[in-house]
Amino acid sequence: MNGIEQTLIGGIAGGTAIVIPSLGELTSELAGIVNLGTEGCMLAGALGAYAVTVATGSAEIGVAGGAIAGAVFGLLHAYLTIYRKADQLTSGLVVWFLALGVTGVLGTSYVNDVITPLPVISIGGLSKVPWLGPILFHQDLLVYVGYVLVPLIIFILHRTRIGLLLRSTGERPEVVSVAGNRPNLIQATAVTIGALLAGVGGAQLSVGYVGTWFDDMTSGYGFVAVAVVLFASWKPLRVMVGAYIFGVALSAESVLQTNGIAINQYLLDALPYLVTLIALVIVSRKGGRKAPEALNRALIDVT
Amino acid sequence: MGKVSLKLGNSQKPLEVVSNTGATATLASSIKVAFKRHKLAYLSVGSYVASMAVFGLIVFVKGANPLSVFSVVVQSTFFNGGSVEQIILRAVPISLAALAVAVPARAGLVNVGGEGQLIMGAIGATGVGLTVGASAPSPLSWALMGVAGGLAGAIWAGIPALMRTATGASEAVTTLLMNFVANDIMLYLIYQPWRDRYSSGQPQSQPLSHSAQLSSLFGSQLNIGVVFAVALAVATWWLLKKSHWGFALKVVGGNQEAAKRAGLPINRLLISSMLVGGALAGLGGMLNLAGVEVQLRPGITATFGYIAFLASWLGRHEPYKVVIAAFLFSAIALSSNGIQLNFGLNGSIVDILLALIVIAPLFLSKNRKAMTK
Amino acid sequence: MLRKFTFLKRRLLKLFVTVGGVASLLVTLASCGTSTASASSSGGTTTVGFIMVGSRSDYGYNQAVYVASQTVAKEMNNIKVITADNIPENSSVTQTMQAMVNQGAKIIFATSYGYFPYALKFAKSHPTVTVLHQGGYLTGKFPANFGTYWGEAFEPVSLGGMAAGSVTKTNKLGFVYAFPIPQTIDNIDAFELGAQSVNPKAKTYVVNTSNWCDPLKQKEAAAALLAQGADVLSQHQDCQAAVIEAAKQAHAYVVGYHYDASSLDPSGWLTGSVWNWAPLYKSIISTILSGHFKGSKYNANFVGSFAAHNNPLVLAPFGKAVSPAMRSKILAEEAKLKAGASIFKGPIYCQNGQLLVPPGVTPTYAQINNFSCFVKGVVGTIPQG
Repeated sequence: MNGIEQTLIGGIAGGTAIVIPSLGELTSELAGIVNLGTEGCMLAGALGAYAVTVATGSAEIGVAGGAIAGAVFGLLHAYLTIYRKADQLTSGLVVWFLALGVTGVLGTSYVNDVITPLPVISIGGLSKVPWLGPILFHQDLLVYVGYVLVPLIIFILHRTRIGLLLRSTGERPEVVSVAGNRPNLIQATAVTIGALLAGVGGAQLSVGYVGTWFDDMTSGYGFVAVAVVLFASWKPLRVMVGAYIFGVALSAESVLQTNGIAINQYLLDALPYLVTLIALVIVSRKGGRKAPEALNRALIDVT
Repeated sequence: MGKVSLKLGNSQKPLEVVSNTGATATLASSIKVAFKRHKLAYLSVGSYVASMAVFGLIVFVKGANPLSVFSVVVQSTFFNGGSVEQIILRAVPISLAALAVAVPARAGLVNVGGEGQLIMGAIGATGVGLTVGASAPSPLSWALMGVAGGLAGAIWAGIPALMRTATGASEAVTTLLMNFVANDIMLYLIYQPWRDRYSSGQPQSQPLSHSAQLSSLFGSQLNIGVVFAVALAVATWWLLKKSHWGFALKVVGGNQEAAKRAGLPINRLLISSMLVGGALAGLGGMLNLAGVEVQLRPGITATFGYIAFLASWLGRHEPYKVVIAAFLFSAIALSSNGIQLNFGLNGSIVDILLALIVIAPLFLSKNRKAMTK
Repeated sequence: MLRKFTFLKRRLLKLFVTVGGVASLLVTLASCGTSTASASSSGGTTTVGFIMVGSRSDYGYNQAVYVASQTVAKEMNNIKVITADNIPENSSVTQTMQAMVNQGAKIIFATSYGYFPYALKFAKSHPTVTVLHQGGYLTGKFPANFGTYWGEAFEPVSLGGMAAGSVTKTNKLGFVYAFPIPQTIDNIDAFELGAQSVNPKAKTYVVNTSNWCDPLKQKEAAAALLAQGADVLSQHQDCQAAVIEAAKQAHAYVVGYHYDASSLDPSGWLTGSVWNWAPLYKSIISTILSGHFKGSKYNANFVGSFAAHNNPLVLAPFGKAVSPAMRSKILAEEAKLKAGASIFKGPIYCQNGQLLVPPGVTPTYAQINNFSCFVKGVVGTIPQG
């Protein structure tokens, strides 16, 4: 197996832990709420999934536990930002610190537990496709969930009434309200679903890809997920591509080393953020596809 | 309050308007009025009590007596000389980074980049400190390191400010992204060009020479950086509250349209507020490096920048309140040791306490302009 | 006027009530906690603190420390043990040491390599407290209340290398490590030399993660090594669950380090090196209590070894994958090391062919600790400073 293949296999598996949360963050941001607490929701999801897996012996049920754990923290963010009108960034950071503390305290007893992680599933004929097969179709369940989520979310957001409502809420909540809908409820649902997906992303780390639980094990993936959404300027397909590219970049170092290439990883690590910064400037300058209007207000009109 | 209109910042009406009318009625209703008048105060005390109760519950679930935990939190921090010194030392970078949030906030800007500005300040100080530290007299190398640290922090905050004024890119987002870039730059430096050859493989810079380190205050664990930090905090207070510049920032933050009509140079004010903020955080990074850490290492900022962001919000961007909040958070962070040593609980439990303290006023934020958009 | 006065009175009353309330709350809180906070300095008991960089249940380095600290608490009289884990290698450790002293600690074990500068500085500013650093950091003069200790870790690690070399079919061994510090370079070299001694074709592929415990990076490193064809994995960082889990999924073998984690993967576990710190801790504490610490072997850089029969790192139990013949071969080699043999006896060559140890020469511990190259047979480079 050559280096490129190895990098891609690891990149897809690890990248899934970015793809799913970033699709969640996309949903939330399109409804007008940014969730910096994505990192916290991922942590909660990682521990929730691990704890449920320890209790039930099934990593699949564990994923559901992780999703719920993430959603609980999302509910808090939704309540604070939508119903208490709290500052979105402050609330997000609070959710992150709360999750750091809660998972640290409750997770201590799980560091020593052993689970059977999600098995690797080969998709019949597809996994036999030369080169691409083993990279894309010899992975765990959540990787496939990631594949399915992208078209699903594109469809929901752009082809259904719910999606239209959600995007309108993100642009002009007051118009949605005039039309007789409840923008608060729509936003709260979007934030919670986003956090739920972050929880699933956390589960991919703890009961999927790595198979252990450790304090602070998401190590910044949640913030990367937020960056990816900005990088992609709120387009699902770009979110997916961006997330996998970030995933591959993060897993490239080990593979390069085993192939005898020693590099200083850290300038490479900074690249995704730099690219995102440049993308933001270009997007803002061109006046092209900008942030959802309500989100813009939340992020720019502080007064 | 309309469900939606809240998104539009200026549409909020104070809740208490109605309550004043019943002042001359019966005793029962006057009690009611008194309660309403002080509703906010009662609610805020209530919300703190409630969040402490939540914390107590978590502690109880983990098998410790909540009252003893609270007492250890208090005792192990404020009732011990050595610990008070450590609280002060930690509060130096946190309060300066918190002021770095408060200054731009006055002009309506959101600086989430304290973490990165602290790091850049430490990098700038290390670079200069290692170059001149061994040869220059202490005060000179401190001054040069301060200039370098402040400048590095200012640049790191200035870039997002320029991006905001030139293209409209949200500084909340760009400052956040800049944090990660700063951390990667530091790791790059200490994993290669700046790695201490005598550290046997550990990724860390060479330690500052003794004369470049901030000297100790009266033989305590404190160092002279504490004095500099106090001076900087007072200067910031003066700038915001007494100077023409501070007033102009407030006008811009209050109503940009009016500020424009009054002929204020808006972009220049926005950029300068970020530059001053970044310089404060950079100096915080420099003081922490030269006084406490002495060399660059991974994790040197230990999320101080984010804690500072929360401190500034808790203090509603008022300079002296912000500093108090920074001290409070510093003490909370330190109490993790006492909790761990006495009860065997995971030290990260103090993150819960920190979050709950910030959440308590957020629950009331509907009535508080400072907490809302 | 009157109204104004009543108003003032009310304000004052309110202030008194508030201040009084807060004060009484603090006093109550403080009084119910006194029993826990200051019981330590009483009577003839000595409080000993242990500080760990990672989780005390990490199936690795920190768990080994924690277990030994509890053994000390159980087996020594008049000793009270307090522990703190997850303390990062920055000024936080100073704060933790200060908190321990506030609790009455007279002896502190700072058990992570990167604690060294903080531990040394703390010892200098707290002359009544004895500070021990775990990591065998070579340095010049020691204050009278400071010491550093370690073991010739590479000895049992080389035996693990023999087990690995004997079972590999691909002749590729994977080694995931944290930092290229001297003890780790020695371990990797010894692992490869041990493997070569039973299988000359065995090569060790190395990846560094730059973190004492980052399961995500470990998983990536392990995956890369397994994809490269490695069928035995070993490692040197603090936690080992992620590497073992990765090996288990790929049906590869594992040589453990720090702690007996055979329960994580009973069928893949070959053997490993595990810390048995308790005897050393007890010996150090007894020396301090007897008042003979100053100038003793512990008031310096103490390194235990097989030859001196005091190596704190010992061979772990064998897994079933190691054949009886190989077990006796490994045990025979262990006996030789105990009799004074060395895995680093020359000739030994660096990766680039340069002579590292001349033929027939047995290097001293100090020389071994100065090795700055991987030996021939190791694939991978040392990140350069």
